[in-house]
Amino acid sequence: MATTRTIKLRVNGRDYEGTAEVRKTLVDFLREDLGLTGTNVGCEHGVCGACTILMNGEAVRSCIMLAAQADGAELMTVEGLAKPGGELHPIQEAFREKHGLQCGFCTPGFLMTTYELLQKHPDADEEEIKEWLSGNLCRCTGYQDILESVKLAASRLRNR
Amino acid sequence: MPKAEPKLPSELPITQPRYVGKDSPRMEDPLSLTGKVEYGNDIRTLGMLHAAILRSPHAHALIKSIDTSRAEKLPGVAAVLTGKEVKAWSRPVFGVPEGWTGYALAVEKTHWAGEPVAVVAASDRYIAEDALELIDVEYEPLEPVVDALKAGTGSSPCVLEGKDSNVAYDRRFVFGDVEGGMAGADLIVREQFRWHRSSGNPIETCVCIADWDPFTGMLTLRGGHRSPHLILPALVISLGVSSQQVRIVQSPLGGSFGVKTFARYVVLIALMAKKLGGRAVKWTEDRIEHLVGNSSHAWDRHYDCELALKRDGTITAMTMKLVDDLGAFAEWLAIGMLLKPLLCLGSCYHIANVDYSCKGVLTNKTPQGPLRAFGLPPHFWIIEQLIDIAAKKLGLEANEIRRRNFIRKDQFPYISPSGNVYDSGNYEGSLELLLDRSGYDRLRREQQQARAEGRLVGIGVASSVEPGLTGPPMLALASPRIFTRTSSPEGILVRFDGFGKIIAELGFPPGGQSQHSFVRQILADYFGVKLEDIQVLTVDSLSMQPSTGPISSSMAIALSGAVLGAAARLADKLKLVAAVMLEASADDVELFDGQFRVRGVPGKSLAAAAVTQFMMARPDLLPEGVDGNPQATYVWNPPDRTIPDEKGFGRYSVTAAGAQHLCMVEVDRETGQVKILKYVMVDDCGVRLNPSVVRGMLMGGMAHGVGAALLEEYVYDDQGQMLTSSYMDYLMPTIMEVPAAEEHEMCTPSPIAPLGVKGVGEGALHTTPATVLCAVNDALEPLGVRITEAPMTPLRIWRALQGAASH
Repeated sequence: MATTRTIKLRVNGRDYEGTAEVRKTLVDFLREDLGLTGTNVGCEHGVCGACTILMNGEAVRSCIMLAAQADGAELMTVEGLAKPGGELHPIQEAFREKHGLQCGFCTPGFLMTTYELLQKHPDADEEEIKEWLSGNLCRCTGYQDILESVKLAASRLRNR
Repeated sequence: MPKAEPKLPSELPITQPRYVGKDSPRMEDPLSLTGKVEYGNDIRTLGMLHAAILRSPHAHALIKSIDTSRAEKLPGVAAVLTGKEVKAWSRPVFGVPEGWTGYALAVEKTHWAGEPVAVVAASDRYIAEDALELIDVEYEPLEPVVDALKAGTGSSPCVLEGKDSNVAYDRRFVFGDVEGGMAGADLIVREQFRWHRSSGNPIETCVCIADWDPFTGMLTLRGGHRSPHLILPALVISLGVSSQQVRIVQSPLGGSFGVKTFARYVVLIALMAKKLGGRAVKWTEDRIEHLVGNSSHAWDRHYDCELALKRDGTITAMTMKLVDDLGAFAEWLAIGMLLKPLLCLGSCYHIANVDYSCKGVLTNKTPQGPLRAFGLPPHFWIIEQLIDIAAKKLGLEANEIRRRNFIRKDQFPYISPSGNVYDSGNYEGSLELLLDRSGYDRLRREQQQARAEGRLVGIGVASSVEPGLTGPPMLALASPRIFTRTSSPEGILVRFDGFGKIIAELGFPPGGQSQHSFVRQILADYFGVKLEDIQVLTVDSLSMQPSTGPISSSMAIALSGAVLGAAARLADKLKLVAAVMLEASADDVELFDGQFRVRGVPGKSLAAAAVTQFMMARPDLLPEGVDGNPQATYVWNPPDRTIPDEKGFGRYSVTAAGAQHLCMVEVDRETGQVKILKYVMVDDCGVRLNPSVVRGMLMGGMAHGVGAALLEEYVYDDQGQMLTSSYMDYLMPTIMEVPAAEEHEMCTPSPIAPLGVKGVGEGALHTTPATVLCAVNDALEPLGVRITEAPMTPLRIWRALQGAASH
């Protein structure tokens, strides 16, 4: 059985090709092979949500997926949110305005979870937002400012 | 000291502060939001090796042999480090009191399940972990010491080699006339309490990258380290390295909460680097290692306490005896957490007579380490719980007892029985604000209604005091040899560049506390410039001014002092230059609204930027003694602290922030689950430099407190094996458990600290556990049961409910 595999995927609209050991996790592949270090690793067992990225439009935990499983997939990471010219995405703007982050380590995971939520449920109410964010841990904020950030982002995206 | 340090924002040299005291966008955010922060784990250099650590599966065992030959042969493995080398190359890891720790790797025996036994460095992390499985260790299990109360009695095996006892620390502090206070009481409430261990659990784990060059002798450390001034002595002591040969480059931190000093692992990875002879090696702790092996657990305490009161609720005396299960070593500054209650023994109450004894005992568990709030949360819970118990017995409303014993507004500055000074406060006013805003009377009526319906609804009210800027003085009680100092220096360098822009250099990295932003706020108001005209950087340990960093609720106080001191020095220097340019006497020149102007001569003024550019361009015109360098440094230190005497009497801290919280809970009779129905807090931390940042810290501390009160616990079995070694079992609060709290501000400025601020970073973690735990017991009160063990997990509550049912 081959121990390495060629992986072709699209990340943030760009095509990548790399070779990785079949046991390599997706987050390690993103960070080490593709140099996309914005996705952080918090627990390596799928609970804290810091490593959340989008795979084919759905939030996944890149620490408990293998890179090989993402072969042929379309991924989006935190690096894909803002426009290259320096314009933050409305979700990022809202987190900034509502102080939805302190140390910022869990933030990429929250942003990506929020991205999928607001794509699929632009009218999400507070309970739905909480339900969606309940798989992401933050130790700094106590979550209240994160909740306010997501509400603000939702209303801005609705009115765009 | 520069003259006239501003004691309030209104005393800054500006008509109206535009940034200080106001919500201001954080300069840290854009990088965090776009994934561009370079955390320790993001650093990769060419040829860097990766470390993995083999850990002991036994809590207590002799190491009969270690064979690393199979691991060393694995392709990609560069080296394996074992205890033999660590013993030859280093001294035991730092801890006070001295002599109660082991080496960074187990040598002859293991002391806890999870203790490092060997380290592998390999070309990647996967291979390093493969190699761990090829290391053959032969253990001979020994009887594990798991019960701290037995461990301290002498009938137990000893945890540490060469010791004939497990008691690392045992002190009693008596203030006032405790016997008299007891004798004069109408009621003595006695209760035993148990607080189980938990920890800070930042979402980023620890990362250390070490490179020890054999030719220059230079040891370079990168990664998420907190406070080089704390780590450096540990390195000098353990490694025998010369301090000027150590360069600590601090990456931003993904949270710390006390954890990121991790000196044991910095020493260990440095030793791995020594073995590698000049190749950099990175260790990134995984979460399970963090939970099991990071010496950062805190407060594993058994308390026996008494509160003595008069019939009218006046507290006449208090006794507290506590035994803390320190784990395998008295490592690092863990003992300090037993001593910190000396700073605020009576919380925000005047309790003149206090008998406090604390014993730190070794067991075969993970060693304790610093944790946010540094030992105080159990202390405040016990005081509030005893007040609630006493209120029932005396037939008084508990808040009546609180009011009767609060330190009154007119008693500040208040000298506590242990000599520590509370600078200012308004506890009664805060409580009234809390009761008013929460609708306390209505909540009590709702509770009665709920009880009538058979529901278990409870209300908790609790207070705390947060000593701001603590540190060395209390540690003198653990090690007078090392901590004969009253200083906690915080330094900064501020300079103008050749374009009239400002650059400030700090000695500690971003970690959520927003310090880069608030340095910018203060400098922008001081020199009348825009936020965007200021750059703030963290510099490495060889370049920085003396710096303590954001520990023990010190940052806003000490860093404000440093920034203001440097700004004043720089302004004084620029005045001399402006005087030349304005053809005036320097004594007549002042800085105001960003202009150097001549007093009494309207229209004659120069912007600070213009003065600095002139200063750099025209050395020929500068007054004698003024160089062409528009920069200043300043190192701020806390005023008036003292080294405590043998009885523990001393002035330990600078500010005292007060907090009053209220919580309403409902306990599910079937499951023991607690639901927080309402949470209200009033916090008085003086002037808030950036209100949304302060509010965010309070909310975060509250969430941390909910975890400590209801969820988080490191559970060990009787063999010393930890049963909660993943986030499946160690339960961190999520957005579902943390209530949407209301926060109301009370502002009693500090008369001592710069700008009237008070330390508040540890904040709500002081108060929330007490509030929630008292609320749960209030809910259970009709059943006649009380829980005196934290956290109050569903299982503990369910057991108490079963106990009540069988009565």
